[in-house]
Amino acid sequence: MRKLAKALLDWEAVIGLEVHTELTALKTKMFCDCKLSHDDPPNTNVCPVCLGLPGALPVPNSKAIEAIVMAGLSTNCQIQRRTLFYRKHYFYPDMAKNYQTTQGPVAFCMHGHLDVEVCADAAKERPGLTVCKDADGSYVTTIRILRIHMEEDAAKMVHVGGAEGRIGGATQSLIDYNRCGTPLIELVTQPDLRTPEEARLFMEKLRQAFLALGISDCSLEKGSMRCDGNVSIRRRGATELGTKTELKNLNSLKSLHDALAYEICRQAEVLEAGGTVRQETRHWEPRKRRTVVMRVKETADDYRMYPDPDLAPFDLPEELIERCRARVPELPDAKRDRYVADYGLKVADASKLAADPAVADFFQKVVAREPELVGTIANVMINLVPAVRQVTPAQVADLSGLLAKEAITFAQAREVLQIVDGTDANPSRVVDERGMRQSTDVAALAAIADQVLLRCAGQVQQYRDGNKRVVGYLVGQCMKAARGTGNPKLFGQILNAKLEKE
Amino acid sequence: MHLDGLSAAQIAAGVAAGEFSATEVARASLDAIASNEPRVQAFLQVSADLALEAAARIDARRAAKQELGVLAGVPVAFKDNMNLVGTRTTCASRMLGGYESTYTATCVRRLLDADAIPMGKTNMDEFAFGSSTESSAFYPTRNPWDASRVPGGSSGGSAAAVASGEVPLSLGSDTGGSIRQPAAFCGVVGMKPTYGVVSRYGVVAFGSSLDQVGPLGRTVSDVALAMNALVADGRDKLDSTSQDFRVNFLSQLDKLVEGMRVGVIPRLMEHQSLSVEVRQGMEVAQRALGEQGIELVEVELPNMASAIAAYYVIGPAEAFSNLARFDGVRFGYREPGCATLAEQTALSRAHGFGAEAKRRQMLGAYLLASGVYQTYYYPAQQVRTLITDDYRAAFERCDAILLPVTPTVAWHFGEVSDPTQMYAADLFTISCNIAGNCGISVPVGLGADSGMPLAAQLQGPAFFDHKLLRIAHALERGLASNGDTPLCLSGGERA
Amino acid sequence: MALTKDDVRGIADYARIALTEQELDQMHAYLNEAIQMLEPIRQYDLDGVEPTFHPIGGLRNVMADDQPDANGRALGVDEVLRNAAVRQGRLFCVPSILGVCLEENDGAS
Repeated sequence: MRKLAKALLDWEAVIGLEVHTELTALKTKMFCDCKLSHDDPPNTNVCPVCLGLPGALPVPNSKAIEAIVMAGLSTNCQIQRRTLFYRKHYFYPDMAKNYQTTQGPVAFCMHGHLDVEVCADAAKERPGLTVCKDADGSYVTTIRILRIHMEEDAAKMVHVGGAEGRIGGATQSLIDYNRCGTPLIELVTQPDLRTPEEARLFMEKLRQAFLALGISDCSLEKGSMRCDGNVSIRRRGATELGTKTELKNLNSLKSLHDALAYEICRQAEVLEAGGTVRQETRHWEPRKRRTVVMRVKETADDYRMYPDPDLAPFDLPEELIERCRARVPELPDAKRDRYVADYGLKVADASKLAADPAVADFFQKVVAREPELVGTIANVMINLVPAVRQVTPAQVADLSGLLAKEAITFAQAREVLQIVDGTDANPSRVVDERGMRQSTDVAALAAIADQVLLRCAGQVQQYRDGNKRVVGYLVGQCMKAARGTGNPKLFGQILNAKLEKE
Repeated sequence: MHLDGLSAAQIAAGVAAGEFSATEVARASLDAIASNEPRVQAFLQVSADLALEAAARIDARRAAKQELGVLAGVPVAFKDNMNLVGTRTTCASRMLGGYESTYTATCVRRLLDADAIPMGKTNMDEFAFGSSTESSAFYPTRNPWDASRVPGGSSGGSAAAVASGEVPLSLGSDTGGSIRQPAAFCGVVGMKPTYGVVSRYGVVAFGSSLDQVGPLGRTVSDVALAMNALVADGRDKLDSTSQDFRVNFLSQLDKLVEGMRVGVIPRLMEHQSLSVEVRQGMEVAQRALGEQGIELVEVELPNMASAIAAYYVIGPAEAFSNLARFDGVRFGYREPGCATLAEQTALSRAHGFGAEAKRRQMLGAYLLASGVYQTYYYPAQQVRTLITDDYRAAFERCDAILLPVTPTVAWHFGEVSDPTQMYAADLFTISCNIAGNCGISVPVGLGADSGMPLAAQLQGPAFFDHKLLRIAHALERGLASNGDTPLCLSGGERA
Repeated sequence: MALTKDDVRGIADYARIALTEQELDQMHAYLNEAIQMLEPIRQYDLDGVEPTFHPIGGLRNVMADDQPDANGRALGVDEVLRNAAVRQGRLFCVPSILGVCLEENDGAS
């Protein structure tokens, strides 16, 4: 398989994404009041509605409608006030009614976009780039969103009797309807993506936005956020679209990137060998790092879509849309820009802190306690906090204060954080109790330094002979003698002064 | 005791006053069922245990001096497309032959909450596809007036159970006339309320935008009483299309009708398909209304002729969709021994559904196909708008419209065998469902030649069901004063 | 444009209704007769006429609160499986899917 960058020299990839997001933050299903939970025993959270029992009728969940409106607002979509639910028919037992309740030509959210910033390194995958490049070689590209519509998720099926739970060779399939009817929003992009990296970044950004809205846990691994990729390639300069394939099982950002990269290379090889790309659905196998055919689409499916007569039309009141708008929080991009502007953080650091709303929220709570220490706090948040399980903003603020005063070293800060992890212990007190506080009493340190110099006559001689680096050893000896409470920087200054003088 | 001649209101009053117990009433109904069923076959299932349990509860509550509901001790029968826990709900289909309800339909629940006694489930055309109850997968129901004739359909069992005196009240569902037509054939009152007035939750769907549940009874006031119970708790939050329409229908029945106007459509009154007897019945109805001080005015429904076409697009399309869930996996008939899911689904549906259910679903699947949708389905919904607008214009000139229910009296078994010929007989009832309006069938006498019941239909604007009942009540009163009512037959006079 | 017998076979495949050859012939005749009956729909000039998908007047935005089991409808597993012809433990069960569709079940698409 040839390398992606090489393939993309001759070929341009045209990529569109379909992203399904379960609204896991809701309490109940889309059209009934069954509890949302995928962890319960099979067929626990089901009722006549989600089981499609004869006579049962759907009633939409108001919180799901609010969530999709928020999703649309956060992705620059136009909110369509007048919409309908449609029935989409296909006979498959994961849909209890053998139709899915979804939306027709007009979805709640239409015509949005997200801007994606691609770093200089990945910009190489777009030779002859026409979009604006920044001075550092990075570029920003706008990915249009066709629509986001509201629908219901399907049941889970397990295939038994075959190999590895795969459908091929299975003798029977078992169905658990707990997931059936889970509120699902499907976002469809325009085919505006040109590289796997752009796709990865788009997905990452979308995920961050939905996480910030608090509508879903957005787990690609658990499947609460699922992404399918449509990809075709064409000769650079060509305007006609090639035949696309649809990629499934992209359950991590890396899988999304790697599967698209694989598929672009595969299609390039097929075409360069004089073959043709077939319109088909392909399954990404992450371990074997390849896509395999799942199903060939010869004719377009006819889903017999028509407006669901059981569900009254929507004409969303302006008041509801405004209420949703007020609930859309500051999104990661805006937050990042604010951190850079207000706190003077580096863009990369600000991005890391702004990406996850929980992290950003924690960060801001710490900053609220010690507004002057924002740089130190950012450092602690990025480099130390991810390694521990549970600490409080107060603990991190206190720890940042110790660091800023140089009362402890960074290595000690790491140690202290581990000690207070999961407890309500105060870091300052821990440092005092354990005698970790670095002394800044110059006279006391000078006395220790004198003792060390006396003891280490050999090293002092080496210094005099021109080996200035031996000071590091002497600082270490001082720290040891001070049982870690000394300040290495101060020791260094004292030692240097003494050695020069002598 | 005997139920004969007792109205639902009289039974409820008698039980409340302690003149007889609910248990006595339940037993009397069971007796009537036992003696009539061999001939009529109105029921698919008699729920004697449920009935006696409910009656005992009502009697206990009365003994404890608790207040009883408006239908205290009134035996009722439910069309077998209505879920009731403790019964099978078969839709008269092999597909649901052994289907046990695991929840109860709102309409059923509300009658039971009003202390009605559930006597059982009545026969119907399979999944409500039909106008004769002949397409029941189990057995046909016979017309109590003449066992060689059909009771009408699809709520044929519900109509026959009331007409034969087995129960004073029943519930049916009406997608294109399925309450009004069997009511007319069997000589009882049958009402299709405005779409949205009665919850559809728990009623197995045929055409979701057309279906409406309604009561059948011997008199307009019994039907009004049942309506009171059906709307008592306001809109059903389990049905998105349900609307709040809390009206005391009964208390409005005797309000003045003088000066109210009823529209007649000359073109339809002279429709070529109408039999002589039906024409005579319409004349009787017009005379009775006039005598009650109601003014008759001429109106037009110009697009009514297209209603059948619109109906046979919308109905089958919705039916195909609603019946897709019957695949033998979660419930319903499952073909044994199939190697693949596809085979199992196609054979379960082939062998579970009867001929008419398959025809409607095939037609519906065709009509929703891409391309065909734009040719038939979408335009049919536009024609629906025209028909609705026609009604709106007509109702600016009148309070209700008088129409025949059917072109003829009840036909003989096997007489109408061609499906599309049977569809054409729905001409007078269908447009009411298309527009979502209310309609009622009221008996107006017996045919001079056939000796079979004749009926008149009144249709009213949406959410004027109370006015419609008032006019129907006036019609009934007018007929009674002329001695034209056929509703005083004793059991012995029935066929 | 009358339907051919092959058209009818295609509809039956789609609707998952197995028809015998004889039933197919009857269905073929029926469908063409029924479609003939629908002809009035095609005779209209319907430009600018809004469709009425729902005969519900001005009823709009019907929604429910997000309250778990607010209506007490959750079914016990025995109720859930009561009408299933075949079950395995707590699960519904269907025969091999191969031949219908090779798609993995990873949720709604």
